[in-house]
Amino acid sequence: MAAGIRFDPYVVPALDGVAYGLLVFVAAAGLVLCFGVAGILNLAHGTLYAIGGYTAAALLDGGWPSLALALAVGVVAATASGALVAGLLTRVAARNHLTQALLTFGVALAGGSLLVSAFGPDDPPVRVPAALDGSVVVAGHRYAAYRLVFIVVAALLAALIHLVVRRTRAGMLVRAAVDDAEMVAVLGVSPARIRVGVLAAAGALAGAAGVLGAPIIGPGPDTADAVLLLSLVVVVLGGLGSMVGTLLAALAVGQIQTLGVALAPSAAPFLLFAAMAVVLAVRARGLATVRRAT
Amino acid sequence: MSLTLSRRGRAHTAALLALVLLAAPACANDEGGAGAGAPVKIGLLASLSGTYQAVGKDIRDGFQLYLSSHDGKLGGRDVELVVADEGNGAATAVPAATKLLKQDRVVALTGVVGGGSVAAVYPLLNETKVPFVGSNGRPELKDVSRVWHTSYLSDEPGEAIAQHVRDDVKGSVYAIGPDYQGGWDELRGFTEAFAKAGGTLANPDGKATFTPFPATTNFTPYFARIKASGANAVYTFYAGSAAVDFVKQYAQSEVKDLPLYAAGFLTEGGVLNAQGEAARDIYSVLNYSPDLDNAENRAFVAAWKAEHDGSPTTYAMASYDAAAVLDRAIAAAGDEATPERVNAAIGQLGQIASPRGTWQFSPTTHAPVQKWYLRQVRQDGRALSNTVVGDLATVGG
Repeated sequence: MAAGIRFDPYVVPALDGVAYGLLVFVAAAGLVLCFGVAGILNLAHGTLYAIGGYTAAALLDGGWPSLALALAVGVVAATASGALVAGLLTRVAARNHLTQALLTFGVALAGGSLLVSAFGPDDPPVRVPAALDGSVVVAGHRYAAYRLVFIVVAALLAALIHLVVRRTRAGMLVRAAVDDAEMVAVLGVSPARIRVGVLAAAGALAGAAGVLGAPIIGPGPDTADAVLLLSLVVVVLGGLGSMVGTLLAALAVGQIQTLGVALAPSAAPFLLFAAMAVVLAVRARGLATVRRAT
Repeated sequence: MSLTLSRRGRAHTAALLALVLLAAPACANDEGGAGAGAPVKIGLLASLSGTYQAVGKDIRDGFQLYLSSHDGKLGGRDVELVVADEGNGAATAVPAATKLLKQDRVVALTGVVGGGSVAAVYPLLNETKVPFVGSNGRPELKDVSRVWHTSYLSDEPGEAIAQHVRDDVKGSVYAIGPDYQGGWDELRGFTEAFAKAGGTLANPDGKATFTPFPATTNFTPYFARIKASGANAVYTFYAGSAAVDFVKQYAQSEVKDLPLYAAGFLTEGGVLNAQGEAARDIYSVLNYSPDLDNAENRAFVAAWKAEHDGSPTTYAMASYDAAAVLDRAIAAAGDEATPERVNAAIGQLGQIASPRGTWQFSPTTHAPVQKWYLRQVRQDGRALSNTVVGDLATVGG
């Protein structure tokens, strides 16, 4: 019983950490695909999420059909935007990451301004389907129904991402292009086409995360920056190119942002980055030993 | 991000400096101020772009509404209103204010959304000796001899509602707000007055809880702590998108049945639309509500609704009042409406009739001594609106 009392206040933050972590995973998975798997640094990734979020705000009217419509429109719009970024990157793709970062950062600034001029400077309201617009009781605690359903949907998405990267021909081509782009080209597959495909797929993921996650991380002028920052933290924590690592990192970020804040509220401002610094310090040393050994 | 902005800001500053240098010889013989017959120049600085543009536009529109409903005149003189963009803060506010004060040579400056912008523009005001009738942000200032505010001081909303919360809530109250100067002031106003009234905070350490700002978008962990503290009610201050997140998540949290009391900005203006049903029943304290029953307010609200969708906010009302203050001060200054004479006249105004009810400047802080109102978010026709449910303390000075 004593243990029950001690853990009781942290049930909801821990559950919420799962929802938050899965959202961050779906949002960051696209960035990991681009950066870790295909070697493209896309700083406009947060803007693709914001496109999904604004689409949700504009289309959702409290019914299920509008959610399906918003998901379709948001994914298509973000996919197209991802492909557009790939098109812009064609000429500089061979250059280093700094050039890619500058170009995509410019795209992010321009895209952010366009979104604000189209949707206004305020954070638009997002209406979830009426059936989910309430709270349910979980283990004696109240929790938002939408977030509970979101956990299930996002977990399914995560499994789908894993299957596509690991088991499909497209996923194999992408992984092959990272290992040896020239060999893939010799096999008759254009690396440029793979790049467009990866950025479009990353856009689709960010768009889906933006639509489904709009009630959790809502659209607004700061959304793109916030999502990009969280995604970059996940990319760094999770290690490049590993979807399982990304998932673990995203779930950790979720728990740090919820359970961590509940346990140590005075440390809230720097918990996330302190954790990141610790992981980098420990892991960087680990990597160095591996290199020395080989 | 900040690098780009500051670089752009620097370019603006350089361009403006060049303009000022070019313009200086041309107006060297201009005396500043306006003689009889010539229009009076008033400068209005507000955020027309950036994070606070909703507030900035209300401030501009409130001032212009007063002008348009008074034949474009203040104190019987034609007015030339020069509007400049404050942007996101000091970096953009200073060059814009420099233009208004040194190139346009306005007789008085009004507006300014951010407290940080006011602090940054303050040395310029001292240098040019132009009176400032601010209608929103009010930082800590040493000498307010030429600074006036028609808004409020940040610790006053909490101070005004504390006794009511003490009387209304059976038990302890959890205080929570954003971790920056405005949040500290708002919460300090409440916690000090609440302790004086004999109330107990539910916060474990007996002090208000502050959340990282603007980084906090998920308040669930804090709601878990509120629940664990056994509080009977919550007092808070948030504004802008943080207010939307807080209110929407509160309504679906495990503390949703605890009454929520707040400084009025939590549910003021555009954020209320974004919060929707989640904001229903929230109590807030503010110096204004569009449903106040007095002649000035009926005229103000009718004129506002003729030009805008929705009801006026406290931001628009404070700017409308800034115009009213200048109207009477310029009239009192007579034919020679110089900055010094206008400033002296503002100090002699006494009672000012306003949509919020009658108020006056405190002789020490130069901010209003005014009545505060208890409001609740209720259904008003098809929309939710802040409805006045009672009078609270008169605070100021």
